Amino acid sequence: MTTADRVSILFVDDEERILRSLSLQFRRQYQVITESNPARVMARLEIEPVDIIVSDQRMPQMSGSQLLSQVQQAYPNSLRILLTGYSDLDAAVDALNSGGIFRYLTKPWEQQDMADTLAQAAEIVRHRRRFLAQAPVAVPTPAVAAQRVRLLLIDDDQETLLLSRDICGRLGVQLQAVSTLDGALAKLNEEEIDILLSDIRLGNDDLRPLLMTLAQAHPQLLSIVVTPFQDTQLLLKLINQAQIFRYLPKPIRRGMLERAIKTAVNQVEEARLQPSVPSLRQAEAPRAAEEQSRVSNFMGMLGRLRQRLTA
Amino acid sequence: MSAIQSLTALLKPVDPLSPEMTISDVADQLLLPDFKAFLSLPVVDNQQRPLGLVSRYRLQDIFMQRFGRDLWGKRSTTEAANPDSLVIPINTPLDEAARIVTAQLQYPITEDFILVDEAGRYQGLGTVLDLLKAMESRIDQRNRALNRALRELKNSQAHLIQSEKMASLGQMVAGVAHELNTPLGYVKNNVQLLRDLVQPLLELAEAQAQLSQCLNDPNTPTDTVEAVFARVQDATELASPATFEEDFTPLVDDTLYGLEQIGELAVSLKDFARLDRAMSEEIDLNECVRSALVIARNSLKDKAQVVTRLSDELPSITCTPSQINQVLLNMLTNAAQAMRGSGQILIKSWADTQRAYISIQDNGQGIPKAIQQRIFDPFFTTKAVGEGTGLGLAISYKIVQQHGGNIRFASEPGRGTRFVISLPLSQPASLQRQPQHRLPQHRLPLQRSA
Repeated sequence: MTTADRVSILFVDDEERILRSLSLQFRRQYQVITESNPARVMARLEIEPVDIIVSDQRMPQMSGSQLLSQVQQAYPNSLRILLTGYSDLDAAVDALNSGGIFRYLTKPWEQQDMADTLAQAAEIVRHRRRFLAQAPVAVPTPAVAAQRVRLLLIDDDQETLLLSRDICGRLGVQLQAVSTLDGALAKLNEEEIDILLSDIRLGNDDLRPLLMTLAQAHPQLLSIVVTPFQDTQLLLKLINQAQIFRYLPKPIRRGMLERAIKTAVNQVEEARLQPSVPSLRQAEAPRAAEEQSRVSNFMGMLGRLRQRLTA
Repeated sequence: MSAIQSLTALLKPVDPLSPEMTISDVADQLLLPDFKAFLSLPVVDNQQRPLGLVSRYRLQDIFMQRFGRDLWGKRSTTEAANPDSLVIPINTPLDEAARIVTAQLQYPITEDFILVDEAGRYQGLGTVLDLLKAMESRIDQRNRALNRALRELKNSQAHLIQSEKMASLGQMVAGVAHELNTPLGYVKNNVQLLRDLVQPLLELAEAQAQLSQCLNDPNTPTDTVEAVFARVQDATELASPATFEEDFTPLVDDTLYGLEQIGELAVSLKDFARLDRAMSEEIDLNECVRSALVIARNSLKDKAQVVTRLSDELPSITCTPSQINQVLLNMLTNAAQAMRGSGQILIKSWADTQRAYISIQDNGQGIPKAIQQRIFDPFFTTKAVGEGTGLGLAISYKIVQQHGGNIRFASEPGRGTRFVISLPLSQPASLQRQPQHRLPQHRLPLQRSA
């Protein structure tokens, strides 16, 4: 492996010992740089851009979510990971919604988990690099590029329906709405969906396994989760294992939902211009046996969707 | 004894005298055992209207005159009756009746009072003594109710103070739990890395043991020795002292440092969590400041830089350290919450001959002039409902006051606030103690960063 192939990682933490520990662990596999002052990160990245950035949340100069949101603005193709000792829901929501984080990790971490996460991120980076090095820029198929963006709403909440119908109408997005799990599965199999707008609960059905399955089966799909549940652990799982795009609290604020859908639409349209560039989204596999079996169940039920995508 | 609520309970249905009766008849009646208990008897006309009371006292006066009974005995009772006797409607509230009776009361008490119905018809007698007893029992009952209310109030106050303490403790514990995650993070990772690092060393030791065994045995075939030797060489390469040293020292040093940090947090937590209220002697206030800073580090970290200038000649004082810690923590959290963006908190300590002082100064947004008078009031808060009890400063004030000290502050909106806590060097209870002879102390650096 030459140095040009090496994946670079920047660790940011105000505790030097965290930086030293991570650096000692990974400096042989990756090109590791560290920074203890988040305020200096943007300047350093200009000189020395990196593929992956792992940041602490609470630091004296600025928060990790603030930093990652700046990084996303300037380097949208970087993979951003939050590593925090504080289970703070607001910070996590912020890091997801404005920092577009790839993973949310907690301190203290398992050595193996950290190694696996970075290996997965590095693989995405390498895959993308190989692709961009070989493939000529794909010419978009006019038919696809011109197609309206499709949004599937999975929720039985009347208010969400009215609100999203209104927003989609104004943004020119084609809205499909279902209020049952079976309905959702049927739609996903039949139609090409670009954006998913969903609660995590529908009557007695838990929708999280479906979201996890979709993250595996259809990584291009952007999931916006709207939910009354406010729980850091839950969000952490949705970020890491379902790679959701946005997390919005219920009751929904119109402005927030509209911005989320608008950003998603922009991303979909951008992706259509380069249809085969590998996605930066990739979820972590579910760990609990029960979840694994539910995910593989849904995998089976979404057979036609997968066929269409691999075709 | 349940308190009497109305005059009805005091009613004594005494048979009244009629105006046709003579004074002599009345005197005979008053001697009967049935009437022994009464100071006076009522005279009532044939329409049941009271005409007045005839008192023993009045009869005494009459009969004490020479030939009194002979002269007056045949006359009508009405002549001996007091027309201004007290007549009270039976539905009069007890308090009102008591007010009327006491207003008319004269020494000696010679009459009771007449009770009538709404139409003014005679119902019976009420005695002053009964009325006073009823009033006393009512006052007793009210006192009991007041005492109960006072007790309940005190309980709920203690409860509030406790819940404020629990709330700040809870906040603090959550902060510390999170604070622990950082040292735990690198300590755990370092130990796992050390385990990996030691692996080649074990491998090498094992290979060397095998080699020495082969060499000790003259029967070992040469190629086996060679193979084992090659293994030793490979292992030596993997366990290169350069790599090992480079990684080993920082990993161990950082791990030890992290464990110390965790220990420090645990000690500070213990100091804080002491719920006892016992006064201790020889408390170093600087130590209290340091341990409050360890605990508050988490909430201060991203808000303010802390600078301490603690006097190295601060005498020990007698105080309840857990309470003083609570006050300091409250001041520090307030200072952090006053910050917009990032600021600075300056903590100083010093002493004069009587008192020790701690000042906590922030360059936050300051306290508006309009509310400066109220900041120590219980329940006064500028925070949203549910975010603060408004008891923090009130309790701090109380704690310092109970220590015989005081809290003063100066604040300028836009520039910051400075709180000064002063505490007496010795508590009144321990005034007899001999002044301490302080040994020359090891000097601490004047300025210590948090």
